[in-house]
Amino acid sequence: MRSLRAFLQRLFGSLRRDERDAELSAEIESHLAMHVEDNLRAGMSPEEARRQALIKLGGAEQTKELCRERRSLPWLEDTLRDLRVSVRALLQVPGFTIVAVLTIALGIGANTAIFSVIDSVLLRRLPYRDSDRLVVLWEHNLKGHKPHNTVSPPDFLDWKKQNDIFTEMAAIADQRVNVTGNGDPEQVVVQAVSVNFFSLLGVEPQLGPGFLPENGQEGKDNVVILSHGYWKGRFGGDPGIIGKKIALDGRAASVVGVAPEDFDWFIQEGSLTSGRPQVWRPFVFPAMFANRGMVGRFMTVVARLKPGVTPGQAQTEMDAIAERLRQQYPGYNGKWGVTVVPLRQQLSGNLRPALLILFAAVTLVLLIACANVSSLLLSRAAAREREIAIRSALGAGTWRIARQLLTESVVLALIGGSLGAALAFCGTNALLGISPKNLLDLHAVSLDSRILAFAAAASLLSGLLFGFLPSYLSARSAIAETLKEGGRPATSSRGRRALRSGFVVAQMALALILLAGSGLLIRSFIGLSGVDPGFDINNLLTFTVALPRSKFSSDSATLVFFQRLLAKLESLPGVQAVSMDSYPPFAGLGASTAVHILSQPLLPLNDLPNAAVQTVGPGFFRTMRIPLLSGRVFRPEEFAESRHVAIVNQAFVKKYLAGGNPLGQKVAVYMRGLEEKDNPPCEIIGVVGNVHVMGLDEASEPIVYWPHPELPMTRMTILVRTSTDPLSLAGAARDQLRLLDAEQPMANIATMEQLLGDSLARSRFTMLLLGIFAGAALVLAAVGIYGVMAFNVAQRTQEIGIRSALGAQQRDVLRLILGHGARLTLLGIGLGIAGALLATRVLATLLYGVKADDPLTFLGVALILAAVALAACYLPARRATRVDPLVALRYE
Amino acid sequence: MSPKQQDVWQGTLALMILKTLQGLGALHGYGIARRIEQVSGEKLVVNYGTLYPALLKLEQEGYISSEWGVSENNRKAKYYKLTRAGRKQVEKEAREWAETTAILAKFLEAKG
Repeated sequence: MRSLRAFLQRLFGSLRRDERDAELSAEIESHLAMHVEDNLRAGMSPEEARRQALIKLGGAEQTKELCRERRSLPWLEDTLRDLRVSVRALLQVPGFTIVAVLTIALGIGANTAIFSVIDSVLLRRLPYRDSDRLVVLWEHNLKGHKPHNTVSPPDFLDWKKQNDIFTEMAAIADQRVNVTGNGDPEQVVVQAVSVNFFSLLGVEPQLGPGFLPENGQEGKDNVVILSHGYWKGRFGGDPGIIGKKIALDGRAASVVGVAPEDFDWFIQEGSLTSGRPQVWRPFVFPAMFANRGMVGRFMTVVARLKPGVTPGQAQTEMDAIAERLRQQYPGYNGKWGVTVVPLRQQLSGNLRPALLILFAAVTLVLLIACANVSSLLLSRAAAREREIAIRSALGAGTWRIARQLLTESVVLALIGGSLGAALAFCGTNALLGISPKNLLDLHAVSLDSRILAFAAAASLLSGLLFGFLPSYLSARSAIAETLKEGGRPATSSRGRRALRSGFVVAQMALALILLAGSGLLIRSFIGLSGVDPGFDINNLLTFTVALPRSKFSSDSATLVFFQRLLAKLESLPGVQAVSMDSYPPFAGLGASTAVHILSQPLLPLNDLPNAAVQTVGPGFFRTMRIPLLSGRVFRPEEFAESRHVAIVNQAFVKKYLAGGNPLGQKVAVYMRGLEEKDNPPCEIIGVVGNVHVMGLDEASEPIVYWPHPELPMTRMTILVRTSTDPLSLAGAARDQLRLLDAEQPMANIATMEQLLGDSLARSRFTMLLLGIFAGAALVLAAVGIYGVMAFNVAQRTQEIGIRSALGAQQRDVLRLILGHGARLTLLGIGLGIAGALLATRVLATLLYGVKADDPLTFLGVALILAAVALAACYLPARRATRVDPLVALRYE
Repeated sequence: MSPKQQDVWQGTLALMILKTLQGLGALHGYGIARRIEQVSGEKLVVNYGTLYPALLKLEQEGYISSEWGVSENNRKAKYYKLTRAGRKQVEKEAREWAETTAILAKFLEAKG
């Protein structure tokens, strides 16, 4: 307590310094006077009396110094003095300061912006209790090499029964459901969940009791929990919502809860809706789900690990369970395992590599910026050599001088860092602006204390980093020699010049790595954009119509509704063709199943070939402009009733029917059941071109097209080929739908171009950011080599003057300076290529159609860098050629 | 004095200052120095200068306070006196010192 009081007093001891110094002098003087008087009385001479008094005191100045040390905190005073001196010194050279501050601001700003995204995607707490004990379970399709496949209800039930590593497990099934009443009909994303879903996650509803255990039973499941956003949006945040009824696909359900605002559960991988949930309802396991033959794989599963159990142990246990199930149900589970994924990894999975690469990129930018500032400081140190030598001669120790110089760099870094943090704030929100929906799971990034702490730490660290070498070299430089040399600052400059050249080489190398990385991504993106999707994406409007089973229980009702809808749409002006598809391209959804080509042997289910199945409407191939390669397209009568016909794509023929004539072949498509007898064979009547259904970077898979009556699905995506802007027809299309059924919403309205753009969004986003960073690196490296060359020319003015006086031509001088720059650049490029060959390997997963060591890209970026570097050297070199020998020689 | 000895000296010096002020009331630095020398029977021979940082430290800790006054010889001098906390501290430190010396004395008397 007392020592704290003393510390505070000392902390403020530096204030009123002159006043307190005067007081101290007066006190010592009064002490001496009294002592002198006593000594005089004892009979000493006046001189002797004062001498003895001083000896006894131990010296007046020494005593005062002892008191001053005690009075305040000497290290604090030194630091404050260093800061004052630094700010004054920096203000004296505004040009230098501005360039240095901007350079640092760029580096720190980019780092902070990317860090803030990484923080919210990879580091921040998830809104669930003990979220590090949550894992997601997938079925592992061993045959299709697909480790994250959705889960079947019977498997889920068996896992739940047989494991003893999870405290709880819950299943989630995404659905799209029509909500009617209370305004316009609309399609919402509903998650049917096990009733323990919320308690497993440790989340209490904000309003209402939530689900009760009995809600999981058939007949008692007509209850829902609303998401906070849906409650605000559709019900205006009605506080009395609990107990009210809403209609889901025409079936009334009462609201028993509203989820907290930050609660969300969205796992894009395996999502059947690709949308965030707005409503949750209980999942009911009917008795038939125990029968493996009756049900497919469509759920996601979340589980909570028992305390102390690691995901690795859980994987081992689940492997054992999967093995038992393989033995027990060889037909259904024979080729299936289980994958356990920690929730955090699941949620950030597809962004993680891109973010880490971007973070590495901005770190490189920061390093280049540091090298630049370091180099600037070195040239400044050369100009200050005499000042430092004088201070050193006056008794300042090496450490003291180094500390002063280091303080200067830290001041620079902190000013630059603050500016950078401000840039990051604007930059991050701009980043969110250009980032595609669903890519970054962020609404807005705010600069909170964690991010600011990161920016401060990064600034401090870079200040120390770029300040260390220059201040060390300056402080160490021999005092005597500098003064002796008559003002020509050349002593330590050899070491310094080598160091600056080293910085230039390092910058060139780092910039090349970044340029190579972004060059590869650009090439990959151009390659990707050039891929032919297999159909005409222009002027194609798409939207989804999902009919509620409650209202459309018969297949014929479904077929008739869609036929009438297509007919109405076709009559609209501006419409060239209309059709529909169950799983259109770029929507991220698909259904695939086993197929048996009858001319080939019947294998066990697990060993049969696989194909995606698409149910389409009349005129599909004409509307999409997918070319017919052989045979014919569907006839109108094949859309009236099931005639057991199918069209396959080229990939199907190539993979499964190579060499033979596909037309006329019979094929059983296992869509209705797991037995051959459930699936009447269809005749292949035509072969069409391939379409990149799952995205341009995914290979075309074998597809079987069926006319709608073959498998009358209730959820179809309508495709409208227009002669004008497709979106301008959306309103008219909606009116036609309303005329047929006022309660039927249309959802996911988009043009095919937008869907394609979204599917390319991540590639474009990563490419754009890396390109920006590489551009920044290029500019910084150019500034760096320019600074070094300009400085060299200034230092060599005398030498150049002598050379000119001795007859060197302008051309020779130009060659001298450019040659120096070229040597540094080439060395940097050489090292950079070596580094880039290692570094770009991490990009491999993000690349399409171009190898990580693509020679063309490497050559291209090396040429760009060399050209920019030589241009940066040319300006100082030109200046060197204008050196007048007379002036140069008189200069010293 | 080696640094270690100086620490001991600073510690005991503080107690001596406090004790002196307790006995004599307000006193200036020179007076405190002379008093300590007299009481110790001229056995403590140290620079008077070391007294002043010790006074500063005691003042920062709030055990003594100071104000300018006039000496018996009509000279301006800075006078130090105990604060209330200082009076308590004297009692406490004197007691602790007595205990320490008593223990040490016993220790030294004991015939090993």
